[in-house]
Amino acid sequence: MIRNYFKIIWRSMIRQKQFAFLNIVGLTLGIATCLVLGLYVYDEMTYDTFHEKGDRIYRVNQSHIWEDWNDQYASNGPNLGIALRSDVPEFEQITRLLDQGAQTMRTNLKGRENTLYKEEQCYLAEENFFEVFSFNFLQGNPKTALKDPKSIVITQKTAARYFGKENPIDKTLEIRENDGSWSTFTVTGVVANVSSKSHIQFDMLISLNSISERMKSNGWLWVWTGFSTYGLVKEGTNIEALRQKIQAIPPKWAANTTERIFNQTYDEFTAGKPWKLYLQPLRKIYLSDDPAEHRFGPNGNPQYVKLFSAIGILILVLSSINFMNLSTARSSKRSKEVGIRKVLGSERRKLIKLFILESTLFVCISTVFALIIVQLLLNVFNSIAVKELSLLSMLGNPVFLVILVSFVAFLGILAGSYPAFYLSAFKPIETLTGKVSAGFKGKKMRNGLVVVQFTISIALIICTFFVQKQLAYSSSLDLGLAKDNVLQIHNTEQLRQNVKVLKSKLEANSAFTHVGRSYGIPPYIWSGDRYKASESQTPAINLSDFRTEGDYLDLLGVEFLAGRNFDPERKNDKYGVILNEEAVKVLGWGPKETFAANSPIGKYVEMTNENEDKLEVLGVVKNFNFNSTKEKIAPLVILHQDNDLVWNYQRGLTFLSARLNPNVVKNTRDLQALIDDIKEEMAGMDASILFEYSFMDQEFEETFRTEQRMATVLNIFTVLALIIACLGLFGLTAFSAEQRIKELGIRKVLGAKVSQLALLFSSEFTKLVLISVLLASPIAYFLVDRWLTNFAYRTPIEIWVFAVALLFAVIITIITVSFQTIKIANTNPVNSLRTE
Amino acid sequence: MLLQLNKISKWVQSGGQKVHLLKDIDLWVHEGDFISIMGPSGSGKTTLLNVLGMLDDFNEGEYTFLDESVHKLKEKHRSNLYKQYIGFVFQSYHLIDELTVKENLEMPLLYKKYGGSERKARVADMLDRFNIVGKKDLFPAQLSGGQQQLVGIARALIANPKLILADEPTGNLNSKQGEEIMETFKELNDQGVTIIQVTHSEKNTSYGSRIINLLDGEIV
Repeated sequence: MIRNYFKIIWRSMIRQKQFAFLNIVGLTLGIATCLVLGLYVYDEMTYDTFHEKGDRIYRVNQSHIWEDWNDQYASNGPNLGIALRSDVPEFEQITRLLDQGAQTMRTNLKGRENTLYKEEQCYLAEENFFEVFSFNFLQGNPKTALKDPKSIVITQKTAARYFGKENPIDKTLEIRENDGSWSTFTVTGVVANVSSKSHIQFDMLISLNSISERMKSNGWLWVWTGFSTYGLVKEGTNIEALRQKIQAIPPKWAANTTERIFNQTYDEFTAGKPWKLYLQPLRKIYLSDDPAEHRFGPNGNPQYVKLFSAIGILILVLSSINFMNLSTARSSKRSKEVGIRKVLGSERRKLIKLFILESTLFVCISTVFALIIVQLLLNVFNSIAVKELSLLSMLGNPVFLVILVSFVAFLGILAGSYPAFYLSAFKPIETLTGKVSAGFKGKKMRNGLVVVQFTISIALIICTFFVQKQLAYSSSLDLGLAKDNVLQIHNTEQLRQNVKVLKSKLEANSAFTHVGRSYGIPPYIWSGDRYKASESQTPAINLSDFRTEGDYLDLLGVEFLAGRNFDPERKNDKYGVILNEEAVKVLGWGPKETFAANSPIGKYVEMTNENEDKLEVLGVVKNFNFNSTKEKIAPLVILHQDNDLVWNYQRGLTFLSARLNPNVVKNTRDLQALIDDIKEEMAGMDASILFEYSFMDQEFEETFRTEQRMATVLNIFTVLALIIACLGLFGLTAFSAEQRIKELGIRKVLGAKVSQLALLFSSEFTKLVLISVLLASPIAYFLVDRWLTNFAYRTPIEIWVFAVALLFAVIITIITVSFQTIKIANTNPVNSLRTE
Repeated sequence: MLLQLNKISKWVQSGGQKVHLLKDIDLWVHEGDFISIMGPSGSGKTTLLNVLGMLDDFNEGEYTFLDESVHKLKEKHRSNLYKQYIGFVFQSYHLIDELTVKENLEMPLLYKKYGGSERKARVADMLDRFNIVGKKDLFPAQLSGGQQQLVGIARALIANPKLILADEPTGNLNSKQGEEIMETFKELNDQGVTIIQVTHSEKNTSYGSRIINLLDGEIV
């Protein structure tokens, strides 16, 4: 019997090539999309799963004590770890990690002393790091490798980079210190390259004991919030109880620090807000947007995971609907077979089996094609989405295979169920005597399904359109500063005094109109401190701050609303500040309209340090975007570069920015020559400094990279969804045309013109698409509205976009339908009427 | 007695009125009968045949088939009954286009769960009996109308039914092909197969033993 089924399925597939083709193409696209998105989502959800004790590892987060205390902050002061070790025996291990940022390195190997390397992924780690985390140790002893000061553990690729095939153990590496000296570190271990699916991405781990001197200074230990603290709990620990218990730690331990640093008691510092500690499971770290602040490593976006899961499922639904629609539409042809089979003794159950088998077979064939396509195109997707997805490695995974097989069965049954039950319910005599034209039965259902398909596709189109619109809007926003043509030279803090020499050289170069020095560059101004308005009762608040000089503000082209810029001639200006409008407002000095009556110029901003130093307000600038335009412009205090009252982070990065003169630098060749000159200049001053540069406009664009990437992926899948829906529509019109061939023939005999027939025929489908637009618009509106809340500056949701989507959908429909319309309208009616 | 209809009526509601398709039909069929049902278009011939074949319901009356009261049977038993004892031949043959002659013949046996070797034997027997061995691997579309109808009859016969119901078996054939088909029916009837045919043709009735004339759903 089964053989007979296969035979008939195969032969009817061959016989109705167009049907089979549309079905397989539709299903293949759907399954391939679902597979890719499935791989993506699976990949996102399985980060940090390779640690043997992973289910017992938690990262300890704390309240964001620098801003909103209700938010979480992913790192803490170094003494949290000490406190947990001493007070909480439920932890088997506590290990701390300190992000070191990029380091300039060299080796002392012969002939390579002058080659500089930049290591971006460099951390200070505690000696028990490898007892908590399972990174694959290749050489050295994981228990002792990070014990001695100045010991360093590197990854395999780092080892190969510096030492080639030689044994790296006990060899030395040098790291450039701030003062230009070199510290020597000894390689004590080599680990396998870190899996891309780890939120801790390192190339080098330096023993935390190397900075034990710095760690001993008591004052900072609770506000030096740079340490990621991980706890390995003992087996069987009650996590809820532990969460409660650790809340007692900050009040007990942090007071010492607040008194020393802020001259405030613990209660004054917290102002009654709880300094909470949180335990975040290791496996949840990657794919969580809370805490948003101060985390390192790659971070997934849970929104995108949800979005892509939804799209994957929707596209699968679309292609299943295609299958159902085409199968039932084709039922006019199959109904005769059903009738004969029933008369010859088939039970309904067997017919259902036949149709389910048929759809499963279609799904199987499509799955095979989909696997091939995915394998071929996965690299393209990987490069767009910046992922390392692999299908082949999944094929060896029995769980995946089980899922794949059950997926095929499920989809086969799902897609086959409607046609199966629908077709098998035909009464045999009705089908045999042709009393029912079976194709017309279930037309409502089919039309409904088409509406569902187009609703999904049109909603996707509208969303995609708004995503593009928002991105275009974000990049065309008036930032309040001139971001184009600004060359930024990095690492100039390492030039020390020479930075002034370099600056004057650049100033003398006619290729530049402005040159300025700054500590930090937009859109990456992260530093901040606590300030208050002097002689007022308002509490101290956290304001962003930014250290620079007058020249740089000129270069940025920010507009002064009141007062003046820093003046290099006035010695006292180094204790002056320039505020942005927002800062004036939050300090309680009113909006710019009140400046005339009550000028903030000459008032003082007070710091919260022991001396309560006062800084005079010299000027107020119009708000400008010093961070990504995703965020609203925050209050900003612009400090003078020589201000020695405000903590300057010592390691603060200095940038030398220069605005290009487009009359001199006319093309990329000029620009490259210019950059080469500067590089040479810097090398002449200190060959040990790595030369790096960037352009401000590109940096701003960079902040939208994940959104851009998501937009590209979304575009692709929207087009796919549309193609699938159109395939379905195409198939349906083909069958509808077949059904109505007689009607259209009669109309033609009675004198209808081809154009009238075409209109009559397309109007039916156009109507469906119009309904879809009506349904899709509110759905899309809701989704877009929600997505836009991610942005501080939003493109308006305008009605014309919906109108364009409508027009677009109607055009697509008419094009799709017109193939059939024209074909059928031109048929000689004699042929269609003769068949009875 | 093979079957008996007792006051069978069938109607449909049309615009609030009962329209009788069949009215008070009484009919006896003995094994070995060859009955022709005649009547103008719309007189209810096909409906009667479908009722006899249990493919269609009726509203009133009693139907006894081999001492079973068909009107009391559940759908499933009823279909088991007709599957076992009745073979159908259609005006437009109703072969499955995707299957070859041999496979078409085999299909009823598959549904009746005959074993592989028996199926083969019976199919070979039928091919032989109807002289279509050479056509066994052809598809219906490759056969003439008469040949297709031969296959249709062979298929109806393959599971040894007691009764063959034929709805205008020669309606789509030319006169020569038609005669051949009727000759075949005659031979089958001589071998003891009961046949009920619906026909328009006086000539075809001459092959049968009894004629039932229908007019507006009633036997006249």
